[in-house]
Amino acid sequence: MPIYQYILRRILFAIPLLLGITVVAFLIANAIPADPINANLPQSALNNEALVAAFREKWGLDEPPHIQYLTYLGNLLQGDMGTSIKTQNPILADIRQFLPATVELATFAIVIGLVLGISFGIISAVWRNSFVDYLVRVFALIGVSFPVFLLALVALSVFHAQLGWAAGPGRLGFLVRDPPHVTGFFTIDSLLARQWSTFRNSLAHLVLPSSVLGIYVSGIIARITRSSLLETLGLDYIRTARAKGQLEPRIVLRHALSNALIPVVTMLGVLYGNLLAGAVLTESIFAWPGIGRYAFRASTSQDFPAIMGISMLIALIYVLANFVVDMLYFVIDPRIRYS
Amino acid sequence: MTKTSITKAPTSNSPTLDLQKQLKQLQRHPEVIVGLVVVVAWCLLAIFAPLIAPFDPLEQNIPDRLQTPNSTYWLGTDELGRDIFSRVLYGGRITIPAGLAVIVIDGILGWLIGAVAGYLGGIWDEIMMRLTELFMAFPTIILAMAITAALGPSIRNAVLALVIVRWPNYARLTRGLIIEVKTNDYVEAAKGLGAKAPYLLFKTLLPNSIAPTVVYGTLDIGNAILIFAGLSFLGLGPEPASPEWGRMISIGIDFFDQWWMWLFPGLAIASLVMAFNFIGDGLRDMLDPRLGS
Amino acid sequence: MFALRQSVRRSYVALYLVFMAFVVFGTAYAQDDKVLVVGHAEITEAYDPAHAFNPTSGMVNRVAYNTLVTFPDGDASSIESLLASSWSISEDGLTYTFNLREDVTFANGDPVEAEDVVFSFNRLKNIKAQPSFLTDPIASLEVVDAKTVNITVTEPRPSFLSELANTAFSVTNAEVVQANGGTDAADAAETDGALEFLDQTSAGSGPYLLESWTPQEETVLVRNPNYWGEPPYFDRIIIVNIPEAATQKVALESGNIDLATDLSPDQVVDLEGDDDISIFLGPGRWTHFLLMNRDPDIGGPVADPQVAQAIRLALDYQGFRDLWAGSVTPGSNMWIGLAGAYGQDQSVERDLARAQELMAAAGYADGFDISLSYPDMTWNGVSLSTNAQKIQADLAEIGISVSLNPGEVQVSLEEYRNGQQGFGYWFWGPDKLDPVDFLEFLPGGKVATDRTKWSPEMTSPEILTLIEQAKVESDDAARMELFSQLQDYAQASGAFAPFSVPAVQTAFRADIEGYVWHPQWGLDLALLSRSE
Repeated sequence: MPIYQYILRRILFAIPLLLGITVVAFLIANAIPADPINANLPQSALNNEALVAAFREKWGLDEPPHIQYLTYLGNLLQGDMGTSIKTQNPILADIRQFLPATVELATFAIVIGLVLGISFGIISAVWRNSFVDYLVRVFALIGVSFPVFLLALVALSVFHAQLGWAAGPGRLGFLVRDPPHVTGFFTIDSLLARQWSTFRNSLAHLVLPSSVLGIYVSGIIARITRSSLLETLGLDYIRTARAKGQLEPRIVLRHALSNALIPVVTMLGVLYGNLLAGAVLTESIFAWPGIGRYAFRASTSQDFPAIMGISMLIALIYVLANFVVDMLYFVIDPRIRYS
Repeated sequence: MTKTSITKAPTSNSPTLDLQKQLKQLQRHPEVIVGLVVVVAWCLLAIFAPLIAPFDPLEQNIPDRLQTPNSTYWLGTDELGRDIFSRVLYGGRITIPAGLAVIVIDGILGWLIGAVAGYLGGIWDEIMMRLTELFMAFPTIILAMAITAALGPSIRNAVLALVIVRWPNYARLTRGLIIEVKTNDYVEAAKGLGAKAPYLLFKTLLPNSIAPTVVYGTLDIGNAILIFAGLSFLGLGPEPASPEWGRMISIGIDFFDQWWMWLFPGLAIASLVMAFNFIGDGLRDMLDPRLGS
Repeated sequence: MFALRQSVRRSYVALYLVFMAFVVFGTAYAQDDKVLVVGHAEITEAYDPAHAFNPTSGMVNRVAYNTLVTFPDGDASSIESLLASSWSISEDGLTYTFNLREDVTFANGDPVEAEDVVFSFNRLKNIKAQPSFLTDPIASLEVVDAKTVNITVTEPRPSFLSELANTAFSVTNAEVVQANGGTDAADAAETDGALEFLDQTSAGSGPYLLESWTPQEETVLVRNPNYWGEPPYFDRIIIVNIPEAATQKVALESGNIDLATDLSPDQVVDLEGDDDISIFLGPGRWTHFLLMNRDPDIGGPVADPQVAQAIRLALDYQGFRDLWAGSVTPGSNMWIGLAGAYGQDQSVERDLARAQELMAAAGYADGFDISLSYPDMTWNGVSLSTNAQKIQADLAEIGISVSLNPGEVQVSLEEYRNGQQGFGYWFWGPDKLDPVDFLEFLPGGKVATDRTKWSPEMTSPEILTLIEQAKVESDDAARMELFSQLQDYAQASGAFAPFSVPAVQTAFRADIEGYVWHPQWGLDLALLSRSE
């Protein structure tokens, strides 16, 4: 099957999934026992009959539930996810404000996780059953067994509070102004604006939270890299290369690794989705003004429109990430043909 | 944080339970023994906590607050002068049953849904698969957060939220196994001999699919415990005074310097999760040698 | 395509090391001398003076706006002029005439005139927001001429001037507010649209201008270039929201912030030996108390006055004093700093036997289960969750099984203000620095009747008479006597259990000077400077 046909099919398959996501979001948002007016409008607006009527009209609250859902879907298609009760901003605007911080954090975390994880995986596989292998496996185990909030606390209390090596909570120091908004990623925006000290500052603030998340990711990646590299090293073409007298590092890095990394790539989509969600805990400790902290605040203040907006957003990212990974897979391994 | 995918379910070559062989294999996997010892130790500590703990975990002793570990308070005291050692012991009484409850309920629920879908096939199978995809697309902790926020924070609701977000993994695992087993010759033969469908399902398919579910559950319990602790860290689990580990760690945000208050409960979680991961990894290697080293 | 060369791998490691090296550089950035950075646990839903009624907004609006009259620095026992250069009170005590200063302008250069005063106070009244109740005593407002305004009160009110010192009575620039959707019309509650504008900028005559507010992140103030008085030292004040006390402490120690408003007493003890840090310790203004709703449908067992009394007798007051260094036990819900307020020596003593008798008399010999609602927050270094856990343990001793129900601050605040909490834990700082503030905790008062359903019908005519007398009595000694009787009554039969007044503790860098704490607005930002 040609690739465009495959892509088309994947997109068609994604549509019912995305619709289902909106149904679940709608159900949870409406499962609360509270009156939707009370739950969705700030106290100050409740006395205002015009506002209440407008809200009823907009979300079809006088209609039966299935019509309400269609209204909800219609608003959604126009890019209207509703208004957050807590911030009183349109949810889309809130997402625009808070998402870049999380994506920046997750991206740094995944880069750290990939670099450390792949390196450790290679070392571990090449010197399998050695002391180094043992150390790496313990490290990987720690990465997946320690609660991420414990690592975050240890990191903050040791490297920030005790030693003073790393910057503390937040995206920037208290005195540093945000760089002019272009992408929302402070590292990129500060470079674009040539604000070198802001750039350094934002990196310094990224180090601890992204390392904490990165350790978790690297644990998983090291395990996958190790086992898949070991499998690959046992295959025929590697034996052939050895027989030809090629040096071992060349064999590992040149021939074996590219194959062994396929499962790692497969994992990336899932991992990225998990990271976005896992950032909730990290963000609340590092006072990181991202989507995770926003979602947490929304859920403790019963801000259901906001929670559902975030859930839908992350579900969407998850679906997209998996889609991209599938495409990537297609590119990496041309032997795979989809039927 | 979810880690659905590292704990990749064993899909093919359904394992058989050959006790002697398994015992021999166990010798080659000392980590399983270590894991078992730690888990059993934690279970015993939790069960006998009232006998072992030197203090009532809820007893406040304000004059003795914020003490560093010493001979009276082995792991120090917290902001209200409660004994951390006793609290950590009692914490196991919350976390271990909660983790087990999630896994057992999900194991049964997921198994039933997966088995029915896999057995019936066709449209039922399709519906189940789409439904699981749907649930898996939602971010675990955020969905769990939304559910606990809607129901109100409590241990029961945290467990319920975890059950709701994690059943699809089990359903998909069982479905795969059932479909595989269904095509086996002997099932076909039994069918040919006129065996009734539900009878077949339980008599023939059950033993073959239960072992992988148990292995997957062992691998998954660590994740369940981590997410449960995460929810209670965020205040969406047991109530504030509860000696729950995640809850105890959350006080660390206010008390960086008093490391003993949050480090020990943190190590308790880590050791328990690590032990379960040891067991799970070892079992997976034993039952599916292709994945091992 | 994934052929990694060794050199590539090496450069990855190098990259990571470079990345880590930035840590070292990143933490050391220069501080601008004329900028003050305050670490503060923000609690406010607005800065618009007609809406805002919270400690954070009090601190900010104190410097962004002016009131007609005010208190001297750090003192609440007398009244001095601010926008009004002088005032007179009519013979019958009902009409106040204020003469506005001639030299005062708003930040945009407009003169401050009587029209602005009337507009601001009418808007405050008609917008029907949290602080609007402060206008209840006002019968009418009248512009006499551009610089003279008359205020008539409904009955003689000795406390009126100190009530006017509240930042809710900030005078806003009527023209600017109207241009941005504001109105003082009778239907302002529905038609006023200036909230968003006034949350992001100020339209006042204070030494600072509100430059921006990012809720839960930061509030930025800049110096008012047209300030009519002595210009303040700092060009810019950044109030950073740092909810966690531990983070505030580290930020202060590393010099990232100049001042931390919410350290816990334990941390202050820690900082005492540090030469770079100065500490201010003073009597707190926040009375922590339990409220027990008198509506049996909401309060359940705690609606019974005998149970309320049992709860007051069951709390371990000594324990709360040990828990929060420097705290005192209040003798009533009247703030201990006010003349005539009952202090620690007149406070309730723990008596478990008596408490149990009362429980039995109320029909709860075996105790009962109840949920305690409170905002999940740390206020001025005092964790409400810690206190709630102590309350839980104390009440368990008389058989009351308390489950804790911490709520998100704003959600919980709304439930409390709407009287939906049956058994709640809150803290109160006086709205009016006058004993009349205590009347809020007696039938007919805001906290008692609106939030606790303790209505005038539930009390005796004698007490109601006492309350009415206390409002209008102008003889000091007689007034004291009335308030003593009311405090006795509240402590014996009231719907509240005041249990702790934690100390105020502020830590700041040693080069910060001019720290003055005021019970009305807390920290006075305009008085601070940096030694050079």
